[in-house]
Amino acid sequence: MLEKGPAKKVTVWVNEDTRHHHEKLWLAVFDYLRHKRIAGASVTHTKMSFGARKHVHSADLPDTPEFSYRIEFIETAERVEEVLPTLYEMVGDGLIELQDTTVIKAVNEHAPSPEPEKRAQPVRQKAQLMRVLFGEKDTWHGDRLYDAIVKRLRMMDIAGATVWRGLMGYGAKGETHRSRLLHISEDLPIMISVIDTPAKIEEAIPVIEGMLENALIVISEVDAIRLTRPGTAQETSHVQR
Amino acid sequence: MFSGEAAQLVHIHLNEGRVFAGQPLHEAILARCRALGIAGATVFRGIEGFGETAEVHRARPLGHDQPLEIVIVDEAIRVSQLVPELEGMMQSGVIAISDVKARRVTKDKSGQA
Repeated sequence: MLEKGPAKKVTVWVNEDTRHHHEKLWLAVFDYLRHKRIAGASVTHTKMSFGARKHVHSADLPDTPEFSYRIEFIETAERVEEVLPTLYEMVGDGLIELQDTTVIKAVNEHAPSPEPEKRAQPVRQKAQLMRVLFGEKDTWHGDRLYDAIVKRLRMMDIAGATVWRGLMGYGAKGETHRSRLLHISEDLPIMISVIDTPAKIEEAIPVIEGMLENALIVISEVDAIRLTRPGTAQETSHVQR
Repeated sequence: MFSGEAAQLVHIHLNEGRVFAGQPLHEAILARCRALGIAGATVFRGIEGFGETAEVHRARPLGHDQPLEIVIVDEAIRVSQLVPELEGMMQSGVIAISDVKARRVTKDKSGQA
């Protein structure tokens, strides 16, 4: 929440029809500010305006369907610094204005207790990247093999695993497919990538090996930089089907 | 210790719109790998990315221009035969090679390794 004293006020002027990745820009900016937990932002809709394009935008004139929007917010200089580069990139057509201001009073009885600013702490360490390549149709005791491997890795407290599905490929299932021509198969290639300490990877290899029939395991030495926010769960899992 | 054999991993980064000799470049690369007897190659599609041209490649409603990554694993000697061929096929893109340990797991139907 904002405190009394010096602050910055940012005003973004955009047209109603300006888009950002297929979304209305004014809405994209608003969503971004909300996502960044900016103290507050208001979007106002102008009655009549003109800008760089010299089009008159008016809610009353029938032939000007495009209105102009103004997004305003007040934040500390530090928070404004944090969001400005993204806003700069987002606003492909429009105007961003920054001014010094002073907050005289900012009270909200229902505001949640302020959370201390938490920054991600980078931890750099030597790690191993394991990739396991096999086919989508492979199974393990009736389960999809990739599902079974991910479950097993979770059980072993492996830091993380991601399952990738390939568009096409050959070879991951061994020598048998090699003599055939490239064919469009229902059995698409799957790759699971896992990054953890060498000790954890060594522990995982025999377990995974025991679950595989025809597959390739590839290990590389990597420098891993791990970003974790203090106080948040370290574990994230992305199981994509 | 994981007693995998020393091998090389090749990553090729390109985008989906590329064409070589009238066919999609990634398909042409896979066909060439196969012709050279490379052990395996797999094409993955990325969600979004950008490269040399600083143009963002992402899924669009019309047409595909998503980034692709081809992963190839083989012995260093085979990789060294493959790379000049790839260079001849690609107008732009990135080829990254790293040393890895690889183990092929093959079991016959009786379950024996």
